[in-house]
Amino acid sequence: MAIYEAAFGFGLVSMSVIALAAVGFTMQFGITNMINLAYGEVMITSAYVAYYLDRAGISIWLGMIAGGLFGAVFSFALNRIVYAPFQRKGTSNLGMVIVSLAISLMLANALLPIVTYNSVSYSEHTGSIVRLGGLVVTINQMIIIGLAIVLMIGIHALLRYTRLGKAMRATAANPTLARNCGIPTQRVIDMVWLITGGLCGVAGVVAALNSDSFAIASGAGFLITALAAAVLGGAGQPYGAMIGAVIIGLITELSAATWSAEYKEVVAFGILVLVMVLRPQGLLARRGALAAAG
Amino acid sequence: MLTLLDRQPLVEEARPSPSLRAEAVTSGYGGVPVIRDISIAVGPSEIVAVIGPNGAGKSTLLKSLVGILHVTGGRVMLGSDDVTNRPPEELARRGVGYVPQVNDIFEPLTVLENLEMGGYLLTPRKIRERVADVAAVFPALPPMLKRRADKLSGGERKMLAIARVLMLDPRVLILDEPTANLSPKLADTLLKEHVKRLAAVGKAVLMVEQRARAALEVAGWTAVLVSGETRLEGRPADLLRRRDFEELFLGAGPRATPDSQLDQKENDEP
Repeated sequence: MAIYEAAFGFGLVSMSVIALAAVGFTMQFGITNMINLAYGEVMITSAYVAYYLDRAGISIWLGMIAGGLFGAVFSFALNRIVYAPFQRKGTSNLGMVIVSLAISLMLANALLPIVTYNSVSYSEHTGSIVRLGGLVVTINQMIIIGLAIVLMIGIHALLRYTRLGKAMRATAANPTLARNCGIPTQRVIDMVWLITGGLCGVAGVVAALNSDSFAIASGAGFLITALAAAVLGGAGQPYGAMIGAVIIGLITELSAATWSAEYKEVVAFGILVLVMVLRPQGLLARRGALAAAG
Repeated sequence: MLTLLDRQPLVEEARPSPSLRAEAVTSGYGGVPVIRDISIAVGPSEIVAVIGPNGAGKSTLLKSLVGILHVTGGRVMLGSDDVTNRPPEELARRGVGYVPQVNDIFEPLTVLENLEMGGYLLTPRKIRERVADVAAVFPALPPMLKRRADKLSGGERKMLAIARVLMLDPRVLILDEPTANLSPKLADTLLKEHVKRLAAVGKAVLMVEQRARAALEVAGWTAVLVSGETRLEGRPADLLRRRDFEELFLGAGPRATPDSQLDQKENDEP
């Protein structure tokens, strides 16, 4: 039994990391219609921001805040300078995917001379161990879980109770009607990129902290996991992404305990494929906060 | 373009000075213009109906007036201000309310949230006041405030769409086929009670209507659009007196009867 309890503990951490990443990713799609394939690279770049601060002796938690700020500002600028002008020109959604893929490659290659191919890790790595019943997690992992819970509740409160959050949902549902209501949709979308970029940055640092080591190549893995959770829950649905993160986080860790850690990703994508066959629109499509436009 | 030059000299009330006026507006979706040189005006307490067959450019005209489509020729005047090609959010701020034919509400939001978004430009306190005001106009609204808007019936949905636009208390109301998808009874109630009452309290109402007969009953002025041009305009009573009205409106053969053809259902335009 102990192995399952341990796996469940890892699963909790795993789902927290995935949720942070997937919610930002899915909100970008849900509200701005942008499948941002550069998301994983922005995550890893933010992780490196925290890494260099860590090397300079600054606490990893301050580094995480810095990573979040970097992700927010970078994503905001990325949209303003690259994505929004292309969208205004009427570039198709597929065209936008290619644009974001290009940004992803450019970012990774621009970073390479600075960070090299080598794997690195944060100096502050584990922290002491906490026992909660049968669960064994480290202090850092506890903080990650707590942070994910707080931020998910924060996103829920934003979308459900604030003027800005409701305007985000209105803009997602019907951008033309939103403008007819006097909603400055451009400013709303700027805020979406700042907030989701912040989530992306924090998720990058947390994902790096939760790995033994990370390298520039880790960005692709981050993206794929976030994408899987987002699609599983129903693309564009924040609550769907949270559920997708819980399912993927938990099942991958349980399967790692049952069979072999190497099969983690195979199992995750097996579930994704199964859901796509049975319910192609994703688990929560059209039921969450941000149903697709139209 | 034909006008009612042969109108009988009657002592008629003058039309009010226009709140919103299109002057020779040409517009479309890029490429060949869908509407050409259309002039139309609507003033306080007036109901102006735009009727015409499928694809005449009626929805295009409305979208051009509210800043959704780019006007390539002519001007749109709001009072004495030129608002041609101003963005939709500016027109909303300046008192022009628009209810599209489809996609007229925020489906995943609750009814109350739809109203809050309608009043986005107001303070929270003012929003609460306006929700109460609008609920007084539509007494069926309060019990459904917590429901998701995509769970409403056709009639409830259109009521919400109009209630949403009333949140900002617009001077000018632009309605695109408000009775589409409503039962004849609901359509009648909407036009003869709600739309008339809105005009009675001073709003300028410009609407596109598929139910031509019902529209002619409530409107003070009617324009007939055919193939992107104003074919005919005038007071409904004068229009109905014209022997060639039916033909002009429908471009149909002599066997067409006004009842069967005027009320024919129109589908969405491009």
